[in-house]
Amino acid sequence: MIDLIISTVTQGLIYSLISFGVYITYTILDFPDLSVDGSFPLGAAVTAVLLTKGVNPFLTLPIALGCGALAGLCTGFIHVKLHVRDLLSAIITMTALFSINLQIAGSNLPVGRATDTIFTAAPTMAVLGSLSLLMRKLIVSLIIIVIVKIVLDLYLKTKSGLLLRAVGDNRTLVTSLGRNAGNVKIRGLAIANALVALSGCIVCHEQRSFSATMGTGQVVFALATVIIGISLFKRLSFVKGTTAVVAGSVVYKACIQVAIHIGLPANLLKLVTAVLFLLVLVLSNHKGEEIIRA
Amino acid sequence: MKKRMIARVMAGIMAATMMVTGVGCGKKNDGSRKYQIGISQYGEHGSLDNCREGFLAGLEKAGLKKGVDYEVDYQNAGFDDAIATQIGQSFSANDVDMMVAIATPSATACYAAAEDKDIPVVFTAITDPKAAGLTDGNVTGTSDKLPVEAQMDLIRKMQPEAEKIGIIYTTSEQNSVSAIAEYKEKAGDYGFTIAAIGVTQQSEVTQAVDTLLSEQVDCFSNLTDNNVVGVLASILEKTNEAGVPVYGSEVEQVKLGCVAAAGIDYYQLGIQTGEMAAKILKGEASCDDIPYETISEYGIYINSTAISELNITVPAEITDKAIETAE
Amino acid sequence: MLSIENITKIYHQGMITEMKLFDRFSLTVGDGQFVSVVGSNGSGKTSLLNIICGSIPIESGDVKLDGRSIARIKDYKRYATMGRVYQNPALGTCPNMTMLENMSLADNKGKPFGLSRGVNKKKIDVYREQLAALGLGLEDKLHVKMGNLSGGQRQAVALLMATMTPLRFLILDEHTAALDPKTAEIIMELTDKVVREKGLTAIMVTHNLRYAVEYGNRLLMLNRGKIVMDLEGEEKQKASIDSIMEVFNRISIE
Repeated sequence: MIDLIISTVTQGLIYSLISFGVYITYTILDFPDLSVDGSFPLGAAVTAVLLTKGVNPFLTLPIALGCGALAGLCTGFIHVKLHVRDLLSAIITMTALFSINLQIAGSNLPVGRATDTIFTAAPTMAVLGSLSLLMRKLIVSLIIIVIVKIVLDLYLKTKSGLLLRAVGDNRTLVTSLGRNAGNVKIRGLAIANALVALSGCIVCHEQRSFSATMGTGQVVFALATVIIGISLFKRLSFVKGTTAVVAGSVVYKACIQVAIHIGLPANLLKLVTAVLFLLVLVLSNHKGEEIIRA
Repeated sequence: MKKRMIARVMAGIMAATMMVTGVGCGKKNDGSRKYQIGISQYGEHGSLDNCREGFLAGLEKAGLKKGVDYEVDYQNAGFDDAIATQIGQSFSANDVDMMVAIATPSATACYAAAEDKDIPVVFTAITDPKAAGLTDGNVTGTSDKLPVEAQMDLIRKMQPEAEKIGIIYTTSEQNSVSAIAEYKEKAGDYGFTIAAIGVTQQSEVTQAVDTLLSEQVDCFSNLTDNNVVGVLASILEKTNEAGVPVYGSEVEQVKLGCVAAAGIDYYQLGIQTGEMAAKILKGEASCDDIPYETISEYGIYINSTAISELNITVPAEITDKAIETAE
Repeated sequence: MLSIENITKIYHQGMITEMKLFDRFSLTVGDGQFVSVVGSNGSGKTSLLNIICGSIPIESGDVKLDGRSIARIKDYKRYATMGRVYQNPALGTCPNMTMLENMSLADNKGKPFGLSRGVNKKKIDVYREQLAALGLGLEDKLHVKMGNLSGGQRQAVALLMATMTPLRFLILDEHTAALDPKTAEIIMELTDKVVREKGLTAIMVTHNLRYAVEYGNRLLMLNRGKIVMDLEGEEKQKASIDSIMEVFNRISIE
């Protein structure tokens, strides 16, 4: 019982990094970034290859961040510099990433149990060695997510962060401030996709595998968690957007776990998600538009 | 007011999680305890369903009775990797006696969830367990690798004069790539050469058919490649016009109009898996003792309608053991 | 000094709806001038502003600021030394950010947007004073999201933000048109105050002939991409609404 709660919360935490990314693109930048479905497995593909090559598992975290940022840069470049519509430029990147991920990892790539992950490597064992793997997964993920959340919150309060928020809110103003709104957008996409790839990286550590299909539907999941999180928690004024998003991700994973235990057929899970959405939207009594742009 | 509503909903969700997840957890440790088996299937799909049904039949065959000796918690992930992960974790948290995983993503998830626990994972419908990293630890199962040699043997018997086999495959499907490698490696033993064309998406398949026909292949042989099988009807249209037979890789393809197949019977594969699982459950063997197995039973399927249209004479040794699929 | 030299602007070039708005149009605006531009719809007022700001391209001609051509410089770079207030109050501020955050952004114009704190707490009192000077009671609403303020309040803040940092030019694009008459009056007075106090050079497009007459020290009337009236100094001071209305009606009928 406790085990199940721990593993569900861990899943919620790890996947909340995708939600951070979508929070930035969708809520802050107002950009429909579908490339998430590609940059998530990208993080996992890079990580799987590096781990099997014997690279220090902790080193895979910044490398995955970098690769994700590169993917975001591509989407941004296609949109801003080549003047392709936002939705299409994201789809182009996503499509390209499918092939690129397979090129990187070959095919589905497992990471054998003999290989150390961030949950089993020496530094983790030195501190948390007495705990079960389940607890180590929870604690290591929690530490990473808390760090990312704090850094992200701090960043959004810097001048650069304010400008990022402004570009999604009112692009004209950014231009009036003498800044290139396109470049600001590209920067935002790079940050968002870096976080998404980091999520893929940690999932790869946790699942010990990269699979080409692991990205499918992630953008929908993340959108759901962002909306659930914000509409459930944003009214409590002391809860930050990023905290709400993490909570949304955990609630989402908990609901799936409940559905699994009730014995709901998987094909009905999507319906459950839809009903959950509706429930949250109605209860929080927002207009949809307000929630999304909150 | 609204905050209270939200708080209530949250409390409700949490309470529901606890109630629901609380049920059925923990092992029963009295003498009459039943084995708890968690079956994680990647999605609803004819072959995978056959695997599951075969598996249960295999347990039965080994003397284990459902409801008496074991209970099954069956979950399917709807082809969603993240849900497969959560299914594996719930089995692990409930400390089931065995996880049975059907198809690779489910197997990977169960295997990861069992990493620091002593729960055996038995998989099926995985083409290359070694490549999937499922050979190390408390894990075993059955592979649905194509019986490539049996297929070439079949083709040789049906078309004694044939030299060149055409195969179309998707370059990103690992299963197809390894099957092609095996075809090429063993073709010489049966006196064939292989003309293989890789595609990246379904729309390229028909072009590949034209190319192979112009290369004068004597027949086509299919893999379980989704892109190719998906447009099988239009492939057959072209090949029938050219008078070139197509061999399938499982019974469904033969029903659609392929002349014959040495194919996997997923139900049989399931039975084989169930028998392995029964040995492990009863403690007669551990996963370490039983390395993963490939199919020992494969079926020969023929379609007489298609055969007669192409004027092929089928030797008696084939017709004797083949299963007719034409209606 | 801003000089527009022989510019040509054609809309829908090569199509059946092709329309040549400006044909070798020229205009010079000297430092310290506050130019009101009037004219009927389609006379080219807003296009003129967009060309100055670089929001739309021109077919030929040149735009020079202090003798240096800026015609090929991207819009956002031109805004480094220009401020603009739009007709739509929503365009001048970020609705989902607080007034404090908005003002901090505007205050940082011309400086790098790096990783230092976005809101400088030491400047809060300065912002409060600036807001108090508007006389709209906004000084207590620093932490309110802009989107929750009225159009007039937003426009006042937009004006303040556009003129917070040193400017060569202030562009006012029918900035009172979307407001109710009373609020429009307040904003117009504020505009005049800011332009005088900071000694700004400004170009204001307006549909309100009274504003054009009462404010500023130069009045331009455009019709179909041509200047049909250009009053400065004493001429401008002597001009009455009626005299301008007469010209306006005459050209509108043609």
